[in-house]
Amino acid sequence: MKAERPKFIGARIQRFEDTRLLSGTARYIDDIVLPNMLHLNFLRAETAHATILDIDTSALADLDFPTWVFTGKDTAGLSMKAHQDVPEMQYSEQPFLAEGKVRFVGEPVAVILAEDPYKAEDAAELVFVDYDPLPVVGTMEQARDPEMPPLFDGWKGNVIVERQMKGGDLAAARAAAAHIITRTYRTQRQAGVPMEGRGVVAHYNPADRVLTVWSSTQMPHLVRTYISEELGLPESRIRVVAPDVGGGFGVKGQVYADEILIAWLAMKTGRPVKWIEDRREHLIASIHARDHEHTLEAYVSADGRLLGLKADITVDNGAYSTYPFTSAGEPGMVGKVLPGPYDFQAYEATFRAVATNKCAIGTYRGVARPSAVFSQERLMDDIAAELGIDPFEFRLKNIIRQFPYKNVLGFTYDEGSYAQSLEQMRELLAEDIAEAEVSKSSATRRVGVGIACFIEQTAHGTPDFTRRRTPIETGYIAARVDMSPDGEITIDLGLQSHGQGLETTMAQVAADALGMKPENVYVRHGDTMTTPYSVGTWGSRGGALGGGAVHIAATRIADKLRTIAAHLLQSKPDQIDLVDGRAQVRDNPGSFIEIKKIARIAQRNVEQMPDGMTPGLEAHASCDGPRDGTYANAVHAAVVEIDILTGKTKLRRFVVIEDCGTMLNPLVVDGQVRGGVVQGIGSAMLEHFIYDSECQPLTTNFADYLMPLAPEIPNIEVHHIETPTPLTPLGAKGLGEGGAIGPAAAIANAVGNALGTGVAETPLNTNAVWKLSQHIRETA
Amino acid sequence: MRPASFEYHRATSLDHALELLHEFGEEGRPIAGGQSLVPMMNFRLARPGHLVDINRLPLGGIEIDGQVLRIGALTRHEAYFNDPLIARHFPAFLDAVHYIGHPTIRRNGSIGGSISHADPTAELPAVAVLHDADIVVRSVQGTRKIKAVEFFLSAYVTAIEPGEMVVALEFPLPPSASTGSFIEQSERSGDFGTASIGITLQFAGGKIGKAAMVCSGADLFPIRAPEIEEFLVGKALADPGAAEAGRIFAASIDPVDDHIASADYRRGLIAELTRRAIEAACTRALDKS
Amino acid sequence: MIDITLEVNGASKTLSVEPRRLLADVLRHEFGMSGVHIGCAHGACGCCTVHLDGTPRLSCLTFAVQCDGASIRTVESLGGSEADHVLQQAFKSEHGLQCGYCTPGFLMTLAPFVEEMVAQKRMPEEGEIREAMSGNICRCTGYQGIVAAVRKAVTVGLDAGAA
Ligand SMILES: Cc1cc2nc3c(=O)[nH]c(=O)nc-3n(C[C@H](O)[C@H](O)[C@H](O)COP(=O)(O)OP(=O)(O)OC[C@H]3O[C@@H](n4cnc5c(N)ncnc54)[C@H](O)[C@@H]3O)c2cc1C
Ligand code: FES
Ligand code: FES
Repeated sequence: MKAERPKFIGARIQRFEDTRLLSGTARYIDDIVLPNMLHLNFLRAETAHATILDIDTSALADLDFPTWVFTGKDTAGLSMKAHQDVPEMQYSEQPFLAEGKVRFVGEPVAVILAEDPYKAEDAAELVFVDYDPLPVVGTMEQARDPEMPPLFDGWKGNVIVERQMKGGDLAAARAAAAHIITRTYRTQRQAGVPMEGRGVVAHYNPADRVLTVWSSTQMPHLVRTYISEELGLPESRIRVVAPDVGGGFGVKGQVYADEILIAWLAMKTGRPVKWIEDRREHLIASIHARDHEHTLEAYVSADGRLLGLKADITVDNGAYSTYPFTSAGEPGMVGKVLPGPYDFQAYEATFRAVATNKCAIGTYRGVARPSAVFSQERLMDDIAAELGIDPFEFRLKNIIRQFPYKNVLGFTYDEGSYAQSLEQMRELLAEDIAEAEVSKSSATRRVGVGIACFIEQTAHGTPDFTRRRTPIETGYIAARVDMSPDGEITIDLGLQSHGQGLETTMAQVAADALGMKPENVYVRHGDTMTTPYSVGTWGSRGGALGGGAVHIAATRIADKLRTIAAHLLQSKPDQIDLVDGRAQVRDNPGSFIEIKKIARIAQRNVEQMPDGMTPGLEAHASCDGPRDGTYANAVHAAVVEIDILTGKTKLRRFVVIEDCGTMLNPLVVDGQVRGGVVQGIGSAMLEHFIYDSECQPLTTNFADYLMPLAPEIPNIEVHHIETPTPLTPLGAKGLGEGGAIGPAAAIANAVGNALGTGVAETPLNTNAVWKLSQHIRETA
Repeated sequence: MRPASFEYHRATSLDHALELLHEFGEEGRPIAGGQSLVPMMNFRLARPGHLVDINRLPLGGIEIDGQVLRIGALTRHEAYFNDPLIARHFPAFLDAVHYIGHPTIRRNGSIGGSISHADPTAELPAVAVLHDADIVVRSVQGTRKIKAVEFFLSAYVTAIEPGEMVVALEFPLPPSASTGSFIEQSERSGDFGTASIGITLQFAGGKIGKAAMVCSGADLFPIRAPEIEEFLVGKALADPGAAEAGRIFAASIDPVDDHIASADYRRGLIAELTRRAIEAACTRALDKS
Repeated sequence: MIDITLEVNGASKTLSVEPRRLLADVLRHEFGMSGVHIGCAHGACGCCTVHLDGTPRLSCLTFAVQCDGASIRTVESLGGSEADHVLQQAFKSEHGLQCGYCTPGFLMTLAPFVEEMVAQKRMPEEGEIREAMSGNICRCTGYQGIVAAVRKAVTVGLDAGAA
């Protein structure tokens, strides 16, 4: 069957969801209001590591309003179990409410419910916890110190998991190397911070045994499954709804203990229960991200060829393991992706997660890759500097050019535009590079140019998840497409849209397949009652796999439309084109029938259908990712101007050349890239979640936790190369995270270029840059 | 993150406000723009029992009163941008206002609130200290004037007693052959500064006469720099020894070392901002003379 | 409890509120204006911006009792359910929003800015536009689409004035 030339895929279509979002009529979690609702306030640990001696709730009795209080004793046995099923991993669970011990500041110790949120907060202040402090495990070094007491009973030390990956002959690479370059790189701990925090509302109706949970989540089906498993309710009677979600960025892409706890509380109290996270809670206790240290050793030939790479990777995971990606996910991902876009044949990575008395690390835009690419691309610059080669030259010498390419770990890369994007970037930056060179003589003001060249494994398929042996077992996305008798189309999408524009892009995909307009398509998502089971929106899979599923399902309906049309027009199905709302005979466009009419026939005038054909125009399809995913690629470049005497660093220019295969909607692609880049700029220059030596958090509000504001941010120049992948139905690769992956590396390289020094860690705030420019001030 | 309970009183006159504050003592607090107080209340770091809303009192306004410029306590930060008196007499003040927060904050925040809140690196406290402003404080007992240098006692601690409130600030009018500048550095625009330096100069015959300098970020409140003020006297506007002044001053301070900035950085930054502020002021003086 | 009268988007209502209730909460719960979003509740994100007697104000730093007799506008009043205010339309065409959570705050902060520029008959500089939105955090868009939307809205306003 010949597919019609896409009309809407690739078009810059304004988003349908915007009207709702702009007019104030969107419905976010805090807009869910139920009669008789109770409001929940968490009492959270104020000590990082302590034994709970007593929780005194007696003062609540004196209040002149009713309260409900629950502690770990009430929820004993309920926990998050997020384990990687490998012998190297030490097992732990996170109790819904602390049982016996607290392990980080912010850990929920009790919940207090009242009929008003202000009062719930009043009441929570009257509950007193008596703690007996324990020694705090506060750093990676302490966590790896066998003398430190383990965070969990039965553990040996605080290394949660340590594993290896290797390929090729590293000893041979080392022996053949003319240069051995060893460096250690660190990326700081940060928070994700969607502008809407998390929140949960739960309601249980005992009459029909139906539990409804609204949650600001990216993965409603996985929340449903976990609730079912933990509370013993059938999944058929649990409905999880993600309403409009005010940003997620991966932060809302884990199942949290509170989502199940609040469901349990609704059942327990017999009343709807609501919790809206506040900013302090979000910053200290949702999830954190990054906090990596990588020591890399590169083996390089005399002529500048990368022969091999050895990596030692540590992630400070915090206290608990998150579901479903687990504490093994982050370090494992670094080990997997470090080979990057470069061609070399020997590799060995040792990677570990260690436990400390901090908030758990979870998935945040880019997951481990911003850190991995920071190290990889800093290393490329450091090697180039050591060898006295231009950083572009060095990369081009080692870049992969033949596709498909099987990398040193056995992963197959589909076709990309690695070298082309590097070459193109070099041209775009020519003037800045020249200016940077000239500024080298200045002791007060320096310009620097830095790049980051990377690939991103996206749209991972089930085999990739199976290999991980973590609770995220599958990677498919499903969609159900339905054309109603009036010809209008509904997509029930297993993805959840929290800013990605899926209500528009998926409509574009269906419209093309069905010869209709995107306006005819209504996309529903986020509600397990209407949408087919899927793992949710994360891991840059929406466009590629969601789009794939919609395409497959819509194509099935299109096939049926063609068959009916052929029957009515006395033609053959493969002679029928679906265009502009009509099913028409290819060589005789005058012979047509309106698709609307076929839709009616298929459901209301079924006597006109071909004999034996089942009524209805409905199709369910799923689309799984390819075995090794599909590899998007990009080059990011930053141009910085540094005031050497104050450390003030101005980001003058940020350029992206990206290749995400087929673009469904360039408007949305640009938005995703720019938004991701600005988050990456935050990681590179501002955002730092800081604990003191007792693991007390110091950056618990927006005056201390600094995110990019408009004045500091330049326009982000985005250039596209489209290399469609044969591995997904529409040729699309993932794109949601890429923007956030490159900036830390590009900006660090730019700062390094400006200052003529290596940069070992982020964030590059004014203080850090000032420190790095010490040598210039001293010699001036 | 919602406030604890309190009682609310809308003051209908200044005397009414003072009576209410007198009545509630430690438990009473004026609320002006609310841009600092309400965040603290939402975090429950502040929990006044009684709020006295002074917003409807006629306490705004910038006017000359004899030898001083009088700024009413409720004057909002944005008012300075287009005020001819500020532009004419207080260039350092005008520079400083540009560094305060964001448009909505500036539209609502007041000078009385800012100096009473006494954030260590807020701009208006530094400006008051720089210009030797008098802070006019009233209570049912009457009025007292507190010198700005004696007003700020520590971070978020001032010389205001329970029952008192700020009604105005009085800035002595500088002689016409004078100018100033204010430079701040913060991590992002609109943030409280990591450090800032303000300078005022009187000049004659191409030379600096009297000088004043204030620094935020060196201590828990804005401090003057008497040795630099001394140092600058008699220096040529074209060559005021600004870099040396920066070095001398930086060597004299002992800034905090915390997660926001290291003590070394603060010292280095302050040295450089001192140089720049002095040079900027001298350039203005040269332009003016 | 204190009795207050608020005029919200043209409709007046007298109600009895506890002094500590934030204007944001009262607008959301007593007036049903769910377009008022709370992103930080400490004045640092701009999500909750509304117009109080015509000018932008953070409703998370305002007690409803302070507003007795005041007139308040929220995003709901801007361009109605079709979002047909010129700035809303520009947000749409320039992709000035993604998740939409920050959007009402940006709109309420920037609509008066656009009006002011049109009244002054000039196109603001890039830096001015960015400064005008410096109290608002958007985590999704990277601000560029919002800057473009402001420019577009001012252009439409200037063209209309010229015509
Ligand atoms: C996001 C954000 C960024 C900001 N950035 C800056 C910045 O860069 N620089 C800066 O200086 N400020 C900044 N601010 C604070 C802002 O300037 C405040 O407006 C100011 O500090 C307090 O003024 P206010 O009128 O809002 O006072 P309020 O918040 O109403 O009161 C503050 C304190 O002063 C007391 N008070 C108020 N008026 C009087 C009076 N007349 N007499 C005695 N006591 C009084 C109150 O009881 C309270 O203790 C920022 C605020 C926010 C939310
Ligand atoms: S919610 Fe009011 S400024 Fe953030
Ligand atoms: S659109 Fe999501 S925070 Fe701005």
